[in-house]
Amino acid sequence: MNTSTYTNGHHVAVQDVETKTAYINGVAYSVQENETILSFVRRHFGNDYVPTLCDAPNLDPYGACRVCSVEVALTANGSRRVQASCHTPVIPDSYIFTDTDRIERLRKNIVELVLTDHPLDCLTCEVNNNCELQTVAARVGIRKVRYPEGKNHLDRQKDLSHAYMTSDFSKCINCSRCVRACDEVQGQLVLSMAGRGFDAHIIKGLDQTFADSDCVSCGACAQACPTSAISDIFESKSVVADKKVRTVCTYCGVGCNLEVAVVNNNIKSIQAPYDAAVNQGHTCLKGRYAFSFYNHPDRLRTPLIKRNGEFQPATWDEAYDYIAEKFTQIKQEYGPDSISGISSARCTNEENYLMQKFFRAVIGTNNIDSCARVCHSPTALGMQRSFGTGAATNSIIDLKYTDCIMVIGANPTDAHPVTGAKLKQFAMKGKPSIVIDPRRTELARYATYHLQLKPGTNVALLNMMLYYIITEGLEDKAFIQNRTEGYDGFKEQILNLNIDELEHITGVDKHLVRSAAITYASAPNAMSFHGLGVTEHSQGTFTVMLIADLAMITGNIGRRGVGVNPLRGQNNVQGAADMGCQPHQGAGYLDAYNPEINKMYSEFYGVPIPIGKGLKIPEMYDAAFAGKLKAIWLMGEDVAQTDPNTQLVVSALNKLELVVVQEIFMTETCKLADVVLPAASFLEKSGTFTNGERRIQRVQKVVEPIEGTKPDGQIMVDIMNRMGFAQPEYHPDTVLQEVSRIVPFFAGVKWNELGNNGKQWPVAPNGNGTEILHTETFKRGLGKFHFAPYKETEETKQHADKYPYIITTNRELEHYNSGTMTRRTNNVKILTEDVLLINPEDAARHFIEEGDMVCVESPRGKVDIKARITTEVKPGIMSTTFHFPELMINNITSSQHDSEALCPEYKVVAANIRKSKGKFKTQPQTV
Amino acid sequence: MENTSTIAFTADELKEVERLQSLYPEHKAAIMPVLWMAQKKWGWLSEDVMKYVADLFTLPYAHVLGVATFYTMYFKKPMGKHHIQVCTNISCMLRGGDSIYEHLCNKYGIRHNETTTDGKLSIEEVECMGACSGAPMIAINEDFYENVSLDQVEKLLQSL
Repeated sequence: MNTSTYTNGHHVAVQDVETKTAYINGVAYSVQENETILSFVRRHFGNDYVPTLCDAPNLDPYGACRVCSVEVALTANGSRRVQASCHTPVIPDSYIFTDTDRIERLRKNIVELVLTDHPLDCLTCEVNNNCELQTVAARVGIRKVRYPEGKNHLDRQKDLSHAYMTSDFSKCINCSRCVRACDEVQGQLVLSMAGRGFDAHIIKGLDQTFADSDCVSCGACAQACPTSAISDIFESKSVVADKKVRTVCTYCGVGCNLEVAVVNNNIKSIQAPYDAAVNQGHTCLKGRYAFSFYNHPDRLRTPLIKRNGEFQPATWDEAYDYIAEKFTQIKQEYGPDSISGISSARCTNEENYLMQKFFRAVIGTNNIDSCARVCHSPTALGMQRSFGTGAATNSIIDLKYTDCIMVIGANPTDAHPVTGAKLKQFAMKGKPSIVIDPRRTELARYATYHLQLKPGTNVALLNMMLYYIITEGLEDKAFIQNRTEGYDGFKEQILNLNIDELEHITGVDKHLVRSAAITYASAPNAMSFHGLGVTEHSQGTFTVMLIADLAMITGNIGRRGVGVNPLRGQNNVQGAADMGCQPHQGAGYLDAYNPEINKMYSEFYGVPIPIGKGLKIPEMYDAAFAGKLKAIWLMGEDVAQTDPNTQLVVSALNKLELVVVQEIFMTETCKLADVVLPAASFLEKSGTFTNGERRIQRVQKVVEPIEGTKPDGQIMVDIMNRMGFAQPEYHPDTVLQEVSRIVPFFAGVKWNELGNNGKQWPVAPNGNGTEILHTETFKRGLGKFHFAPYKETEETKQHADKYPYIITTNRELEHYNSGTMTRRTNNVKILTEDVLLINPEDAARHFIEEGDMVCVESPRGKVDIKARITTEVKPGIMSTTFHFPELMINNITSSQHDSEALCPEYKVVAANIRKSKGKFKTQPQTV
Repeated sequence: MENTSTIAFTADELKEVERLQSLYPEHKAAIMPVLWMAQKKWGWLSEDVMKYVADLFTLPYAHVLGVATFYTMYFKKPMGKHHIQVCTNISCMLRGGDSIYEHLCNKYGIRHNETTTDGKLSIEEVECMGACSGAPMIAINEDFYENVSLDQVEKLLQSL
């Protein structure tokens, strides 16, 4: 038997008597609790020390390939057993031998056997030089395969059916990494292993193609596959890239880190880094695959000025001169408050900061708002009233520590796929989970409780939950006593509620609500998440305050695994608000209408800053009709397609003398503009995005901006200088320095110190971030209980007799909002159109069959949508998306909005339906 | 064989499914006996039957297909009314199992996992069924016949 001992001068044996040890090749090393032999060896000798094939950083130990085998003895000279190190716990004081002759022969033989059934076409294989089988074969010293050619699977056909995913199972080594990625990471359960012995093979669904299966194209399997058996059309695992740049995804508030491979200033592919704190090697089809919009022929490549009703190309100088002259003239004639701006939550913090600075310091008005208005403005306002800070109290990693999740008005598996996958994993494991949603979302199918309420009745339902928590005596009395105020009056009002009436209003069985309330209140740690199904209602802000009440009454604030966590919609909607893109609060949420703060801002910017009330987005349209507003500047905001009540928005824009739009594509709004400025996409610029858990992360320029375009930040700097305000050239470092001096919770943020995983604000001057808010006290001191009674929205109150159905809006995984980007990628091959979800009962009543066109009419207008008959929605309720401009669903949405924050009520539209002849049917836009 | 659109267990069968599920810490462990029930009822596991069973358990289709294809006793295509399994593993081979298998194949003109055109009979060459003491053995559906000679096989076939 081989008795060689491994001696390595760099590793000194740990002799601490307190810690347990085990021997690796004769030398003692410290052992951690619940550690496998593999992780034990890797911790001391690095990741490459023991070869593996079926092991992956983001998957549970599996023990399929046996390449990681080591010898283990319980005494120094005891008999040795061969064990797969990846799933064998390390026993203290045991003796582990990692590279004896026996082990080396075993490993070599395993790999040799694998290679007898593997095509040896490495030189032409897409993963050449990045193939784990190749690496392991070289590592164990294979020069030739001793076995004769026998039966094999080299004739297996490739699957090229899908818009992104590909498979070539002749290269499969049956390690099951793809199956486990599909199960453990995404939770889609599409892949499995079928057959036995030599016939064992990977299947998709019921042995279908990728295109026919339920695959959601997240790419986790492709990234997990150690060979090219599963890959994608971009050959993401290929090593031909000149460089790889780490940046942050632009598609949603999760803020996945991406590693972008570049060849000759062209993007080749995107992978998700395993060390990313946000996404741990995972991302969705938007982040991973939907990037080809960036050099699409439709990209705007030159400034355009509309003369005599037609766009004419112009130079940047001409465009800037035109805008500066017009702005100056309008400002002189009508005053600075006749100009307004809407910034974009898709742009960086720096760009949003500069835009609000441009409006406040250069134009001289508080008329600056952002698209947070139409999504989470009620969250910001409601949480500020309850806690003092309008941002997520906890981090996504807290899902590891929580005992119960409550998801209200959010569909994270479609809209926030990576966080959605984590929530789904939580629910799939049978842990207590509550979903409050009018639709039976994917998460609702796995949840312990699905409270399928009528749209617009969130307040009534949450009041019911609060009622039961109090009547069951489940309040956290100590927390209420020490950390909150206003409880007694609140309790009295809750106890006065008529539960039977609320049951009728919400349409949810009160016993079910009671059980859910008890589950939430009695969990040691319960965490709530909410989305636009909470905010986009006439009672949006009140709903947020009731969610805060639920957290406070149960003491679920200020530690790991609890809290109130809005799932922020856009990648930087948190940041846009942080940077001051709202009329009433400047950079850092400081009160723009307070004289002292105004003085401070004026000193900081070096010019007088306005103190007069500014316009919120819906007020801007009103002001346009009233003739008070004359010009608007839109940074990457397609209000014509995405704001509610399209006709109103369009006629408001048409009333203005000057509409300036910064965009990457000719959107519906661009068509109404006087000047269009071609902007650079997120892949072509640097800056920071702040995700939904307050994490400020670095966006790094991957490729040079396509010719003719400029980063939005540079455009802002240019126009500021052109209008006489000296602002240095755009660079995230310099802008962040300026921001850190005015925004208190950015005090310690420095571009060079953000690192790969960013920092969560508040960032103290010493650079330390914050994972959990309100641990000792609330930002506002004591948390405040607010009672809000249910009030029916005017939309149904006024129109229910003529328009008896309620239409609500949702998102689909494949597309992002107005779809300007995703419709210009292969995503459009996966999901080609918007559909109307309609219950079979309603469909039957109107003789509507699957795929029929349905004419949906609201008090504002009508649209034709294709029907999808499903029990996902209850009778009387319908749901649709607005990803495709052909549909323009906002022709029917209303101008009702949240009473407090003016967030539009997209989620409740009174409507009537009939079978249509489909005369408005249009072909979807393709790539 | 029933129409695909009517694939469903009866109320009594569903009770049995529940009983089987209650025997295990996790419901999904009952997938094997339930697939067996389904095979007995519908004769084989068609795609629709597997989907039905998967939905009963809220299990992914791929998982059910994985289980069904792993075990050879689940039929993935229609088999004969009388499914004859002939063991040709060591004990039976030494005692003439091969000649029984060849005899049957020649007689009916079908081979391993094939069915006669009238759907009455199918043949499968199986690995050890654990009845070595009675080699050579054959099984017809779920009944074992041990120490069989060619004559006895013939008699058995006539009695079917």
